[in-house]
Amino acid sequence: MAEAIQKKLQSELEKYQQLQKDVSKSMSARQKLEAQLTENNIVKEELALLDIQNTVYKLIGPVLVKQDLDEAKATVSKRLEYINGEIQRYETLLKEMERKSEQHREVLSSLQHVNIFCRPSGLSRPRVNYAR
Amino acid sequence: MTYLHDQMASTGKVKRSKDLPQGAERLKEEHRKVVKDCRSQIEHWNKVEKDYESLQDRLRTLPDKLSYDIMVPFGPLAFMPGKLVHTNELTVLLGDNWFAKCSAKQADTLVEHRKKHVKNALDDLQKVMKNFQNKDDFTDDLEKLAGDTEDFVDIREEVINEEEFTKGKRLAHKPNSKPKQEYLSDLEEDTEKKEGDEERTTGLLSEEELWARLDELECEEELQDERYRHAVRINTGKNTTLKFSERNEQKVQAKRKKKSGKSNGLSPHESYKITSPADIYRVFVDLVNGEPIPRKSILKSRSRENSVCSDTSESSTADFEERRAAFGRSWSHDDATHSDTSDGITEEESPTGTSPRTNGRFEAFTGTVIEKEPLPCSIPYLTIAPPALPTIPERKLEEVGPEALQEPPKRMSKFKATRLHQT
Repeated sequence: MAEAIQKKLQSELEKYQQLQKDVSKSMSARQKLEAQLTENNIVKEELALLDIQNTVYKLIGPVLVKQDLDEAKATVSKRLEYINGEIQRYETLLKEMERKSEQHREVLSSLQHVNIFCRPSGLSRPRVNYAR
Repeated sequence: MTYLHDQMASTGKVKRSKDLPQGAERLKEEHRKVVKDCRSQIEHWNKVEKDYESLQDRLRTLPDKLSYDIMVPFGPLAFMPGKLVHTNELTVLLGDNWFAKCSAKQADTLVEHRKKHVKNALDDLQKVMKNFQNKDDFTDDLEKLAGDTEDFVDIREEVINEEEFTKGKRLAHKPNSKPKQEYLSDLEEDTEKKEGDEERTTGLLSEEELWARLDELECEEELQDERYRHAVRINTGKNTTLKFSERNEQKVQAKRKKKSGKSNGLSPHESYKITSPADIYRVFVDLVNGEPIPRKSILKSRSRENSVCSDTSESSTADFEERRAAFGRSWSHDDATHSDTSDGITEEESPTGTSPRTNGRFEAFTGTVIEKEPLPCSIPYLTIAPPALPTIPERKLEEVGPEALQEPPKRMSKFKATRLHQT
């Protein structure tokens, strides 16, 4: 009985760890997006400081391509919107993953309690009442 | 997670000395980590700001000359002498692979704008650092508070066998039960231990005094109860009226005698004397499990014991009532005298004999008790049920005197009764 529970515990633990990895991945992606967001905001503001006389270039690969100022402004705005949308998506994804990980955590803890109780005696005597 | 559980499982109870410092240590560690992070970030941003400032300097001096003679870097290892021309034309990286050609002055403006952002970031970091520094100091204080026994002490009680007490749900105290002796003894222990702490000892002592006084009064009352055994109405359940009858009376007395095991030397008549306000309470007594239990209030009837609302249990009300009665011997409780509160008190008073005597005592009751009247006229008082009270429908009248009580219980307001009485 204890071994079956151990096995279950192991599998649950693995699932939980996998979920945690996913969560951290999404988190880092979201952080990157946030950095891009701030950057693009600064670009937008600085473009506003320039006037039509200044030529704007965009670096595409090794090439600096001339761009129109207004076009540049529009492009940057569109990019900003896109980034915001992506951030929202990642938010919902993260929340979902957080919820799932919470469930897994509960399962894990309950399994652990059972494990403790079913463990061969001589190790620890549980004295705290976990039942809730 | 497992480690913590094992720890808990092995110790069983939380030890005071080990737990708090550990937790505090952990908390402080976290605080310090955050503060360190903040510091490093602040350093970074400070460097950035300095760079921008030196850049601004360069930008201001650059257009001074048409061209500069410089050593141009060729690859990572070589330099070549060369000239720096078009000193006012700059290609500025705006971010995200965007470039703009602008003059030195425009570049200067852009740099200013960027420096503003850097300053904002620095301010935020400073705020966070200060916050966490404060938190750290606070946990330090807290630790000192809990650790030392000098100025302030954290009040802690070790709970042993928590299951025993709660059993999954809260239980009201049984009637006539004193508060658990263990709690009392704990209180005493605590006062002994921490006698240096003024604030707390005074509080505890007063509490202890309270309990002691309560116990005294309870004992007194029990003694008095033995002496004044009124007829006790057996609880015949909700919504039943029990008319006064001598048969029942005898039954009740017999039961009482059997159960009490003491010979009640007093005659039935004498046992129903009301000589003090507290005697009224003795009259309104329920018989539960063979024990006469004083009711919480003579306005409350036992009909509510099956209701859903909390704490209508007889036991709890009885308990509460005990204390109240114990405290307020000289309570003037108007309605108490007039209300006939429940399923069944048959109060058999010898009407005429006691009334002159009771007159004097009724001064405690404000104005609604009849004086100088034969008791039969006072009976209406005792049979009054104020209509506003919710427990009215369940109430049975007391049958105070034999004659008047033969009629079915009438309910009238005390005002009407006074009117009747006065006219």
